[in-house]
Order: sequence, then C-alpha cells, then structure tokens
Amino acid sequence: MFDIIFYLFAFITIGSALIVVTARNIIYSAFSLMLTLFGVSGIYALLGADFLAVVQIMVYVGGILVLILFGVMLTNKITNVEIKSGNRNIAVSLISVSVLSAILFSVLLGTNWKETNSQIPETTLFGIGELLITKYVLVFELLGILLLIALIGAATIARKEE
Amino acid sequence: MKQYLKNTWEGLYTVIVGMKITFKHLFTPSVTIQYPEVKIPLPERSRNRLYVNIDDCIGCDQCARACPVGCIEIETVKSVPGEDLGKTSNDKKKALWVTKFDIDIAKCCFCSLCVYPCPTECIKMTDIYEYSEFERNNLVYSFSALTKEEAGEKKLNLEKFNAEKEAAKMKQAAPEPEKKQDKNEKESE
Amino acid sequence: MYEYLVNILFSVTGNQFLAQASVMILIAALPLFVVILPYALAAVLAERKVSAFMQDRIGPNRTGYRGLFQTLADILKLIQKEDIINSEADKKLFNISPLLVFAGSYAAFAAIPFSGMFIGTNAEVGIFFILAISSLVVAGILMGGWASNNKYSLLGAMRSAAQIISYEIPTALVILSIVMLTGTLSLNTISELQTAYFWNWNIFGGAAEGFKQFILIPFMIAGFIILYISTLAEVNRVPFDIPEAESELVSGFHTEYSGMKFAMFFLAEYANMFAVSAIIATVFFGGYQSPFGYLGNTLNFPLLIPFEQFFWFMIKGLFFVFVQMWLRWTLPRLRVDQLMTVCWKYLIPYAFINLIIIGIISLL
Ligand code: SF4
Ligand code: SF4
Repeated sequence: MFDIIFYLFAFITIGSALIVVTARNIIYSAFSLMLTLFGVSGIYALLGADFLAVVQIMVYVGGILVLILFGVMLTNKITNVEIKSGNRNIAVSLISVSVLSAILFSVLLGTNWKETNSQIPETTLFGIGELLITKYVLVFELLGILLLIALIGAATIARKEE
Repeated sequence: MKQYLKNTWEGLYTVIVGMKITFKHLFTPSVTIQYPEVKIPLPERSRNRLYVNIDDCIGCDQCARACPVGCIEIETVKSVPGEDLGKTSNDKKKALWVTKFDIDIAKCCFCSLCVYPCPTECIKMTDIYEYSEFERNNLVYSFSALTKEEAGEKKLNLEKFNAEKEAAKMKQAAPEPEKKQDKNEKESE
Repeated sequence: MYEYLVNILFSVTGNQFLAQASVMILIAALPLFVVILPYALAAVLAERKVSAFMQDRIGPNRTGYRGLFQTLADILKLIQKEDIINSEADKKLFNISPLLVFAGSYAAFAAIPFSGMFIGTNAEVGIFFILAISSLVVAGILMGGWASNNKYSLLGAMRSAAQIISYEIPTALVILSIVMLTGTLSLNTISELQTAYFWNWNIFGGAAEGFKQFILIPFMIAGFIILYISTLAEVNRVPFDIPEAESELVSGFHTEYSGMKFAMFFLAEYANMFAVSAIIATVFFGGYQSPFGYLGNTLNFPLLIPFEQFFWFMIKGLFFVFVQMWLRWTLPRLRVDQLMTVCWKYLIPYAFINLIIIGIISLL
C-alpha cells in the first residue's frame, strides 16, 4: 500500500519537476513547481516526518510559490498569456549540471546509510519542539532575529518617503 | 493610541448594532406581495387597457382624432335609411355602422385622451393590465360588433343605396311623371 | 475508525491490500458525501432565505415546499449548462483551477474531527495542516484568475491571494495561543480536552483551574473575535469579499467560469465556510463535545455517543456559518486599504498582545 503511494508521489515529483524545467511558459513552470513541492511533502509525510511535510507546504507552497507567482504576474505583461522562457548557454549548463549530478550520485552511492529497524515515531512534533528550545535554541533565536530584520527591512523599503 | 482604541471599539460596537438591526428584521414579516396570486388594488382612475362598448358607439371618430399616437382606427359605413341602428344608452341616435374599430393597444400610451371626447362615454379604461401576447398582431383589439361579411354586406347595401340614389338622381333629371311613379313604387314598398 | 473498518473489510474479503485501499478511499470520500454536499445544498438555500428574511422578503419559494428544492434545481441547471471557455484563456490552467481550489478546501476536512469516531486523520499536526493546505486555495485562485486572461479576474485573484496571505497571520497567532494552552496541534485532542460541560470550553478558560480560568476568559473572547474576523476574511466572505466584489470586479476570479466549474468554486466557498466555522467551534467551543453531557451516558448506550457528538459538532459549525451569513447581510464591503488596515494595524497587534498575555497566564 505505502509502496504504491510512494511511487505515486515520486512520479508526481519527478514528472512535475521535468515540466518545471522544460515548460516554455513560466506560469506553467511555477504551477508545476507547486506540484513538485507537494510531492516532496507527501514523501516527507510517508517517511513519518509529519511536521516537516506540513512546513514544506506552508513555507514553499503558501509562501514562496505564491511569491513567485506574484512576481511573474506583476513583472510581465500580465494580461498576456504568452510568457516564455528560453534556453541559453546550453553547453555551459550541460557541463555544470553533469558535474553536479556526478557529485550527487557519488555521494548517494558512497554514503554509508544507516539502517534501523526502529518504528517510525507517531509524531515528530514534540521532539522537534523540544530540540528547538533546548539544543538549538541559539540558532532558533538567531533565525528569528534574522527574519525580524528582514521584515523591518522590507517594511522600510516599501514605505513611501515623506 | 486613544484614537486607536476608540476605532477598535467603534468597529466592534457598530458591527453589533448592525447585527441587532438585521436580527430584528429576521423576524419581521416580509413585505413581498406575491404578484400573480396576490394583487394590490388599483387606484381609482388608473389607466389600463381600453374597452369600447360598441353598442353605444356612434362612430363619431372623435376618439381616433384625439389619440396622439394614432392607434385607433375607425371605419364607418352610413346606414341606409331603412335600417334602424337603435339608440345609445344616453339617447343618441346611431346613424353609422361601425365596420371597423381597431385599437392597437401595443402603441397605446395610456394617456386617456381618447376617453374624454367620447359623446356617449363608451370608450373607457378598464382595470385589466395583464394582456401580454407572443405575437404583436394579437395586441390589435378589434371591437367592431360586425363580422367581416356583415361589414361587407353593409358596404354593399350602402353602395346599392347610393347607386339607387344616383339612379334616382339621374331619373330626376329625366321626365317628371316617371319619377313620380318611381316614388310611388318606393312608398308602396 | 481506519483500523476498525480495515479489520471488518479484511475479515470479509481476506485481502489486506484491498481492504486498506477501499477503506482509505471510503474515508476520503466520507466527509464529502456525509457533510459537504448535504450541507452545501442546505446552506445555499439558507443563505438566500436568511438574506431574504433580513431584507423583509420571502426568498425562493416556488420549487418544492417553500422552495426547499431550489438548490437542487439550481444544481441540475448548472450541470446542464454549456461549459464555456473563452478563446483567449489558457485552457489547461483554466480547467485545473476549480479542481485545485476545491481540493484545497476539501483537504482541510481531513483533519477536522466531526466526532470522536469520525475523523479523517488523527495526525498530531492537525490544525497546522489545515492552515498550510489552505495555501492550495490561494494557488488555485491565482491560477484561475490568471488563466481567465481577463483583467477583472486577475485583479480579483491578486486581491484574494494578498488577502488570504495577510489574514493567515492573525489566524495563526490566535491558534498559536490556544496551542500554547492545550499543548497540542491535534484538533481531536483539543476537543477531548474540553469535555464534559460547557464551562470547560476554551472560550470559558478551557481546562485551566480556578482563578486562572477566570482571568483567561476576556482574552479568550478577544481571541475568538480576532479568529472569527480573520477566518471570515480568509474565506472571502462579506465584508471581506473584495476579491469577488460583484459590483466592481464582476465576481473576480470566477468571472469567466460557468456551469459545473463555477459550481466547483461555489461548493469550495461553502465548504470553506464550514471548515473555518468548524475550526472555530473546535478551538473555542468544545468541538464535538456536548455542552451538557451525553444522552448515551445516561441511557448507558455508548453507541449513541458518536452520533450525538456529530450532532453537536454540526450544530456548532452551522451556527457559525449562520453568523457568517448574518454578517454578510449586515455589513457593507470594505475598501482594499481598509481591509489591509484592519488586518495589519488592528488584528495582528491585538493578536500578538493576546498571545503574549495568554502565554504569561498559562505560565502562572
Ligand atoms: S389612451 Fe391615449 S394613446 Fe391610448 S388609444 Fe386613447 S388616446 Fe390613444
Ligand atoms: S368617441 Fe366614442 S362614440 Fe365616438 S367613435 Fe370613439 S368610441 Fe365611438
């Protein structure tokens, strides 16, 4: 059962990722990116990382994707459906991509993956919460401050000069 | 700060006031009149569809002349002397056959101007206002009491009479005694 | 419920996979057929009737007894309608968008506990999931608005997205304060914590004892009001309906839609209304818990309890839906800037203060 669901999600993720790359229309890319992110979040959920899965949707779909959509829609001639994206520098990108994937594959194959038989925990929520305010409290706070700075900065930039 | 709190309070308070009002109206009986089943009584002197009491009509054509849009069409045929058309209800002698009395109610603007001049008060407003039709031709109301054949007959009668009169006139121009005889004949009839 | 049904089906068919798959499908479809469709049928009619009564009218009363079958007739009409796609639209996205919007609002029902037994998933992330998945609606709306290739639609979609994203913040903040009190994100657990009588509901201070309960009450009420307003805005209802604004945007992002696709948007809107009402009922008003204890307990007939819970849940949810309608026929629409003012200058600061105070109280 779970295998089937996994393959479903994997298929969605990879298929839509392909569309993201190949689509001529930026809007199509953006919306298939949404599907990709969803697929990834589904795989997270299957792996028992429930909190991470939801955060994935919240941050990427709810935040970043909508931001991208806004960006695309506002910067292009918005009433025009034909928003194209093209290919450039094919040779350079081919080389860099193949190098990158070679590295990834070598890591994937070379890593000594740990296998455990332990049960997937019911929820990762409480564990994450505890870790965030004990072990990683400093990082957590720093991130919070960083976000606050970003927020204030955005507000300042957006404000009209008087 | 004070303004801010005041705004908040006002926002909430006015919403509640508004909700109170709408809640009250939730239970007030509706004012809707369910038209085809329930009708409001028409005011007196309301103007609606015209009706012509053709029995009283003397065919004087005054209504047609008064109408600003020209939607009344009247054709009359003089009666021949022998015919008795009877009297109207207010004792006027009818002398004309009304062979055609059509009102194109689609053109009528309900000004009521045709009603006033009628000497016998036979054209008047009714209280019927629902008479929509699918065909515009159906809105031409024909009030004449005579059928086409009758109207034709009346016309023929008149023509015959006229012809006779013509003939008589011709005869009048001719020798005297013959005419007398003619007259006698007619009287004996 | 899942294990229970799987066991039954397994003993019948003897096929584990088949049992699991069919139960999953069944559970996924259950809220749609048990709750959303009947509810939407009733709610659309109720909306029209409520609006009529509030305006001293009669409302639809020709189809069936006092117009009871009006929505049914409407749906039949919508099914028969021609499916119009304007020639300049982006056909693919145009067709996907209603599905996406409906999927987004339907997904929320997975985590809503209708009763102790009737809950799609008892995942611990419950309410967080609902908050997150509503972003699917935003994406769907943007998609529809853009694909229609129409200025009004695009404008409506933009407004809608901006509005939903802004109002997610106060919603999340208020829910956060409740989560701080209850220590869980699961809506089922939150409802379970408010069991027994109505003074255990969160709006009356929740399960906190004595003195603490009483000082919590005003802040809970404030939280409830903030949550209600912001969720109202999230489902684009009047007075926050500028994305749809019939009079200025010709109903915004679904201007170009007709027939069943329009019905999908409509259904999604009503499903959304119920979803947020259900969240409010769960978070503040005890969820599926009865206010006065259960008949099943007094009669010693425990099988009755889930049905009673379902009944209470629907009552509470429908009540808040009614309040939404009530507000709709009371208030005029806000302007765009007023809308943003309400969110950023009023709701968010208040929600923050509320959050901090509730945090302090819960630490006492
Ligand atoms: S009511 Fe006015 S318009 Fe109508 S027939 Fe009489 S005079 Fe003509
Ligand atoms: S004014 Fe009266 S009598 Fe004269 S033609 Fe018209 S309806 Fe007949």
